[in-house]
Amino acid sequence: MRRWGWFAIAVVAIAVLPLVLQDSYWRTNLIVCALNVILAVSLDFVLGYAGQLNLGHAAFYGIGAYASTLLVMGLGVPFWAAFVLGAMLSGIVGMALAIFAARLRGHYLAIASLGFAVIVHQVLLNWISLTQGPLGIYAIKPPPAIALPGLPVVAFGEPANMFYLVAGFALLFYLLLDQLVRSPIGATLAAIREDEVSAASFGIHCTAWKVFAFGLASALAGAAGGFYASFVGTLVPDAFTITESFTVLAMVIVGGMGTLIGPVWGAILLTVLPELFRGFGDFRLVLYGATLTLVVLFMPGGIAQAARILRRRVGSFLEPAQAGFGQ
Amino acid sequence: MLTVALQQTINGVVFGSLYVLVALGLTLIYGVLVQINFAHADVVTIGAFAAYFFTFTLGGNYLVSIAVALVIGAALGWLVNAAIFAPLRGRSELLPLIATIGVSILLQNAMLLAFGPIPYAFDSPYSNAVLRLWGGTFITWQNLIIITVSAGTVALLYAFMKFTFMGKALRAVAQDRETAGLMGINPNALVMLTFVIASALAGMGGAMLGPILVLTPFAGTTVIVKAFAIVIIGGFGNVEGTIIAGLLVGLIESYTTQLLNPGLTDIVVFGLLLLMLALRPTGLIAERREENV
Amino acid sequence: MTLGESCLPAPPTRHAPPAALLRAQGLHKRFGGVEAVRDISLAVWAGQVLAIIGPNGAGKSTLLNLLSGLYQPDAGEMSFDGVKLVGLPAHKRARLGLARTFQKIRLFRGVSVLDNVIAAFHTRHDIPPWQYVVHAAAFERDRARCREEALRLLAFVGLEQRADLLAASLAYGEQRMLELARALAASPRLLMVDEPAAGLNGAEVERLIDRIRLLQQREMTIIVVEHNMDLVMEIADRVLVMDYGQHLFAGTPGEVQANPAVISAYLGA
Repeated sequence: MRRWGWFAIAVVAIAVLPLVLQDSYWRTNLIVCALNVILAVSLDFVLGYAGQLNLGHAAFYGIGAYASTLLVMGLGVPFWAAFVLGAMLSGIVGMALAIFAARLRGHYLAIASLGFAVIVHQVLLNWISLTQGPLGIYAIKPPPAIALPGLPVVAFGEPANMFYLVAGFALLFYLLLDQLVRSPIGATLAAIREDEVSAASFGIHCTAWKVFAFGLASALAGAAGGFYASFVGTLVPDAFTITESFTVLAMVIVGGMGTLIGPVWGAILLTVLPELFRGFGDFRLVLYGATLTLVVLFMPGGIAQAARILRRRVGSFLEPAQAGFGQ
Repeated sequence: MLTVALQQTINGVVFGSLYVLVALGLTLIYGVLVQINFAHADVVTIGAFAAYFFTFTLGGNYLVSIAVALVIGAALGWLVNAAIFAPLRGRSELLPLIATIGVSILLQNAMLLAFGPIPYAFDSPYSNAVLRLWGGTFITWQNLIIITVSAGTVALLYAFMKFTFMGKALRAVAQDRETAGLMGINPNALVMLTFVIASALAGMGGAMLGPILVLTPFAGTTVIVKAFAIVIIGGFGNVEGTIIAGLLVGLIESYTTQLLNPGLTDIVVFGLLLLMLALRPTGLIAERREENV
Repeated sequence: MTLGESCLPAPPTRHAPPAALLRAQGLHKRFGGVEAVRDISLAVWAGQVLAIIGPNGAGKSTLLNLLSGLYQPDAGEMSFDGVKLVGLPAHKRARLGLARTFQKIRLFRGVSVLDNVIAAFHTRHDIPPWQYVVHAAAFERDRARCREEALRLLAFVGLEQRADLLAASLAYGEQRMLELARALAASPRLLMVDEPAAGLNGAEVERLIDRIRLLQQREMTIIVVEHNMDLVMEIADRVLVMDYGQHLFAGTPGEVQANPAVISAYLGA
């Protein structure tokens, strides 16, 4: 199947990239790329598939980052257990938000999620006894090295190894979401996105499924947060402001909402491009805003839409981008 | 004790008036277009910078600079509507919102490039002159200007909406765009008018906010989410509700700063917002809108 | 016999007189100051077609919304096959076997025609949870079955050629038929259709009547809210007439046509 062909290419690309980019600066960027892919893809699950306008996704990133870090440094919990617990906490908070916002539509949900994100940020900033507030948490250790018998020790202080870890998980998470979306669950979420009233008339418990989508997406963002903390080494609340949420939103929109693969490209593009323009200083952020606006105005389907148009021009020997359950 | 309470009340009313000015613009836009303009608060920031440069770089009168900011705001409103909302009309509920997020990022970072990240000390001639009131409280002339101008503007706007033909036409378009169109009202022209008025208010608000806020290109972000909170608490599109909610939020902020930790003001305000959404999503003064199935 | 049930006995069947499949008693619904439905009672037996008619604003759609669970009544009772409906949310009623279409077309516009129908199979999948992630044999079987049945349903409404098009690109009449196909996809025991002929031209109405007749032959129980009197006369076993939210008259189509109160309500005498 073609899909597995692309999967193989992705695996090869991931394996090869750190070898091509020996520069420590670019290897760091690769890791940030992989983190953003997880964030973008999980947001697309909630936004593009379930149709819920969540403007506060970075809050779950933050919750996962702080929760896992505090568990490791405060309670001595082993890294991977803390990682899972941090993701679970993010997921649970996400489900709580979904239950709370169940009756809210469109704009109201958008504002509620914004308000929620502001509250989370303020809590992280002001609960100084827990989070150290604006001073931040320092000296966070990377994931513990893996020593399998007979193989060289894999230490994650090495950017290349950290990249393999995060990118590996990103691939895994993508596959998970892709499989779900190609199952009847994808059809159910699409139904909720398009019209909740008629969805209910088919026996779909809209609130329950929204809670599911939010929970899963938030948990994945929380997992990314766990990686972020152990990769960057320091944690400050200002890494998780509304601006971060908007950045992820931009990645989803520019990539193509509701396509899953689109946001992957959106994340890569919007992580790499600003770095390429680094010489231009703050102009790159102006470009960011301009790109988002122009994409919405002229190509609302993002990169995915552009690819579809291109495919049609070039001739279709490729499979359609979006395979529903019925195909 | 009473002095403190009175003082906080006065402060609350001052900030509340400014919030009302900003939030009114949002609610007016939502009323006619059922869309959220995320770039609205950046118009506020631009208004503040415009007033600053007019007063200090060009040496103009501060009070005149408020009018200048108003005009610039109006122009921006025209631009945003023409470039974003008009082309996207009717296409999607959420795309325009996202487009304005893009515009907001663009404007903020363009201002960053132009003005730098360091806060500007915007002291108007009235910032430090103080008027003593009863009970030991005081109010700066700046704050008095804020309250007066805001109240006057809101009153004018209210009269305009209720008593003039254009105002009524605006309300007609808000209620039922199609029918209004059938009755000879040009909905698009009215939407544009709404945008211009809303952004003019924002610009003016910015000129008056400049002296009392931390003036950086990102000043808009601090205000925008609060403005949304006010619009929701008051009810989207509901002018009276927004006025009450704006003053309420100003007062709550003031009291929270005094009685609790200043860092908690945002949490309290947004906690209130979420509470509101849970209990009465349509706002304080709700109009029951039945969904046509 | 209560006011809502017509003075016709239950239709003669092979068994002993069955209980009504759907029964409603004393339904009330108020919106703000307006009482949209006032003291409505009705009963529908399996295999029957009940038509609900009345002038605009009579509360017909509201009644349907009460029955399907979109609104909860302010007062009154309803039961479906003995199960109490009041308090039960819409999606649970769907699982009991109640399906409906809507007066305003509510298709999943960004989704293909085929996927619109498949989405309605929500309650009928047979896949172990883990296979939602790892697509093994049961998953593939279910997918094939869904596709096959969806195509069959589309063929029933004449849309099988349109299966892969976006629902939004269908003509108005086709969209209405797709709505019907979706409602049937849930394998309902009671089908409620809200103004299915609205906006359809003569030929399309003929086709609709033909489809409903076929369903009738297959013993489907149907409640139809309609304005189009031709349709009602052709297919209804019993008719309930509403006006200003209240029960005006109930009887056979012939009785309704002849009833002076009904005539004046429609002509506004």
